[in-house]
Parts: sequence; C-alpha cells; structure tokens
Amino acid sequence: MDIIVRSKLIGLILALSIIFFGLESSYSILLFLIIMLSIGIPHGSVDHIIAFINPEARRFNSKLIFYIVYLSLILINIILWIISPFLGLLIFLLISCYHFGETQVLGYNSTDNKLLNFVIGANILLSLFLNNIIELQEILYILPEFSNLDLSNFESVFFLLISVAVLMLSVTNFNIKRKVPLYAEITIIYMVFYHTDLLTSFALYFGFCHSLPMLMLEFKEFKSDNFIKFYFKTLPFTILSLVFGFLLYHFNNDLLTSDNLILFVFIIISSLTLPHVFIMKDFVKDK
Amino acid sequence: MLNFIFDAASVAPGDFTGFTFFIGSVSMLAATVWFLMQHGQVDKKFKDSMLVAALITGIAAVHYFYMREQWVLTGESPTELRYIDWILTVPLMVVEFALLTGVGMRKLFWASVIMLVTGYFGESGVMGGTATMWGTASALAYFYMAYEVGCLTIFGGPTGAVGTALNSASGKIPSAGRMLQWFVLVGWAIYPLGYLMGTDAGQWYEGMSNIALDMNVVYNVGDAINKIGFGMAVWSAARS
Repeated sequence: MDIIVRSKLIGLILALSIIFFGLESSYSILLFLIIMLSIGIPHGSVDHIIAFINPEARRFNSKLIFYIVYLSLILINIILWIISPFLGLLIFLLISCYHFGETQVLGYNSTDNKLLNFVIGANILLSLFLNNIIELQEILYILPEFSNLDLSNFESVFFLLISVAVLMLSVTNFNIKRKVPLYAEITIIYMVFYHTDLLTSFALYFGFCHSLPMLMLEFKEFKSDNFIKFYFKTLPFTILSLVFGFLLYHFNNDLLTSDNLILFVFIIISSLTLPHVFIMKDFVKDK
Repeated sequence: MLNFIFDAASVAPGDFTGFTFFIGSVSMLAATVWFLMQHGQVDKKFKDSMLVAALITGIAAVHYFYMREQWVLTGESPTELRYIDWILTVPLMVVEFALLTGVGMRKLFWASVIMLVTGYFGESGVMGGTATMWGTASALAYFYMAYEVGCLTIFGGPTGAVGTALNSASGKIPSAGRMLQWFVLVGWAIYPLGYLMGTDAGQWYEGMSNIALDMNVVYNVGDAINKIGFGMAVWSAARS
C-alpha cells in the first residue's frame, strides 16, 4: 500500500474516532484551530520548495518570480472578496473542487483526467455543504442568493441521499482504475459530514483526508529521513500565514466580514489556497 | 453528538428491542474486526471485497451504537438513523457483486439509487405523490436488481449479466454468489415489508401497521444477518 493510501486510511480512522468518542460541538472551533495549525496550513507551507522539486513541471525562473506570483495571487483573491464576496466564494469553490478532487483521486487513479478531479472534489464539497446546509445558510447570510432559500421542508437525510446518489452516478460514469476503494473512502467521509457540524466536518476532512496525505507525500518527495526535521521546514511559513491572518483581521474586519468570523476564516483559507492549488497541480503530476 | 463508550446508557431489563440494538451493534463491530483481519489473509483480487465488507459492517456498527442510544434514551424508533445506515451501506453491498464479477457496477448503482431515492420520497412525502406510486418505483428497481444479480436462477429463471458472470465464475465464487442471491431475494425482502407498514395510512394496503410485529426487532435481526452474511459469503469465496 503506498504512502498516500496509508495516510488516507490513518486520516479516516482519526476522523471516525472523533465521531465515535463523541466530541461536543462546543469544541469544534478548538478542534478546527488545532487541525489547521498542525496539519492544514503546514501542508501548504513548503510550496516555495515544492515548486522547484519537479523539474518537468517547473515554471519559475527564480525564487523572486515565484514569490511575486504567489503573493500577487493572494492579493488578487483578497481584492476579489472585498469587491464581490459572491464572486470570491464562487472562485474559491471552483478552485477547491479541483484541488480537493485531485488529492482525493491520488492513489486510486492518475490525476491526468482534470474533469474527474473536478467532479470528485465537487462531490465532496457538495456533500459537506448539503449535510450542513442550515448551518451554512446562517453563516453565509450576507449572500442574498443563499439566505432567501427555504429549506425547512427538507430533512437532513434527504441531503445525504442526494449527495450519495450524485457520488454513485459520478463514479460510475468515469473510467477510474480503483473505483470501489475511492467510492468507499468518500462514503466514510460523507458519514463524518453527516454526523458532525460544519466546522468539525471541514476540519476533519481538510486536516485528515486532504492535508495529512499531502504532507506525507511531501515528506516522501523531500527524501528526508526525519519527519521532525521536515516538519520544522513548514514552520516559518505557517507562522507567516498566521501573522498574515491576524493582520488582515485587525485592519480589515468591517470591510471584509461584517464580524462574521467563520466567513473570515473562509477568506483566509481561500487566499492561502489559491496559489497553493497551482503549485500542487504540478507537484502531483505522475503521482 | 453521543459518546458511545463512556456515557452510553444501559438497556433496561426486559427491553428485548433494546437488546437487539445492542446485539446488532456489537456483532457488527465484531464482524468489522474479523473482515479487517481477513483482509490481510486473502488473495489480492479479493482485498477490495473484504475491505468493502468491513466498511459495510463498520458503518452499520457506528449507526447501531447511535440507534441503541436513541432507543434507550427516548424509546422512539430511530428511523432517520436507519435510513442513513441504508443509504451508505446498500450501494456498498451491490458493489460486492461488481467486485466479484467485474461487471454490472453501473447498472446496479443506478438501480440502487432509484430504489433508495424513491423509497425515501414515498416514506417522507417530501416530493408529493402517493406512497403506492413511490413504493412501486422502488420495488421495480429492487426487482430489476434481483433479476440482474441472478436471483431468479435459484428457480431456473432468467438472469442479467451480473448473474451470468457470477454463476460461470471460477473457484468458490458461484457458491458464494448463490448465497448472495439468497440474501438479496429473502433478506432484503424485510425492507419493503417495513415500508408497507410505515406508509399504510390511506393506501390500498391500509392495516399493515396493525400487524403485531415489532419492526425494530425485524430490522435489527435482518440487518445483522444481511450485512454480516453478505461479508461472510464474500469471505467464503475469497479464502479459497
């Protein structure tokens, strides 16, 4: 079993144990912070090294150009959120669909089929949102397109059923090398989504099913013999990301978020995700 | 959320239904451990089948722990939790046929989607229409699946591609396939029975709910036999 599938399995066991041992939803913010700081952000904190690892995929002539492009993408994303939160969210979702799908497909199929990557990621996000839709509606009240929807007639089982049905139809219509393990893994993820609140669902998925396998793959590609040494390499940019988040919150709170902390977290994550997606796309080639 | 391990409520003395929830949860958990242990022992081509068998019982174990808790604390039937369990595990059960034969996954997935979605629409009433109408659609999907996997061949009848592949496969697959066909034909028949009893108000089958039968007990016993039995049948083919 390769390192990706093994770490996915460990991730699923960790996520399931949270359900099984029953974590009170009041701890979800703490859980979210711990997972994001320990796994979520660190898995993207070595982008500056990863971008130069695969010579076939290298696109930057120097580190300076890399940093300019990387930071510009972050800036563009923030401006987009300020101008139009709806557009900001839409672009974040579209890019996340591709990125999450790409990681999910790893170990089960080649990542060459871009449409498959996107569809699998879209399935996962669809399920995350559908299974926590009332909560999501409360968070995204600033979007009139979303806040006016009346979902009171629908039971939560209905949304789980829809997400599983869409997943089944998606999986059957693509040529996937290891179709059943992929489907089975996503089924477990859906169960986690159903039984936990939105923040916990996102933290468990993002941390254990997305970031952890990628972190392990990065560790493998670094050819470092010591995981601790590798992990220390992620720390400088993890700390910088935190500083960036605090500064953004301190100076732009009203403009960006109308005091909606969870939405603000979305903005931070999307800003960090946007450039990271392009780096990872090259990194996972032929994996 | 519930904490199954440390705060789990105890089944009261004389609560036979609660006891079947308890038996359901621990037997599913034991089966999961067993299938995972066997995963390392079987031939490579059966590893996915064993993993899926473990997942089916694992998902069911988690939901049976939830269901037992709800039953013990409130005394109400955990219908919603049952549906979650079925929505997640039924597609995995039909996948076993595709894994053993290498054919028919698309057809079986489509049929199971139709069976589950229409069954849910009929029971919940969210989409309007009558329970008879949705129940018929769900039953047709079920009968199609039963035909496709070769249940009718038990009586010398016709079969779909999956049944043909199952019956003509090598090794112990045909005998394991026969067990699976029996599970689909007989074991799965308890689910339509529950549907009829739960939706009989104003329908042509009104009065079904008056039958003196505790559906929770029927479902609990049926689920345990179907899910663990399904995995055991696959394991019996794999261990050769």
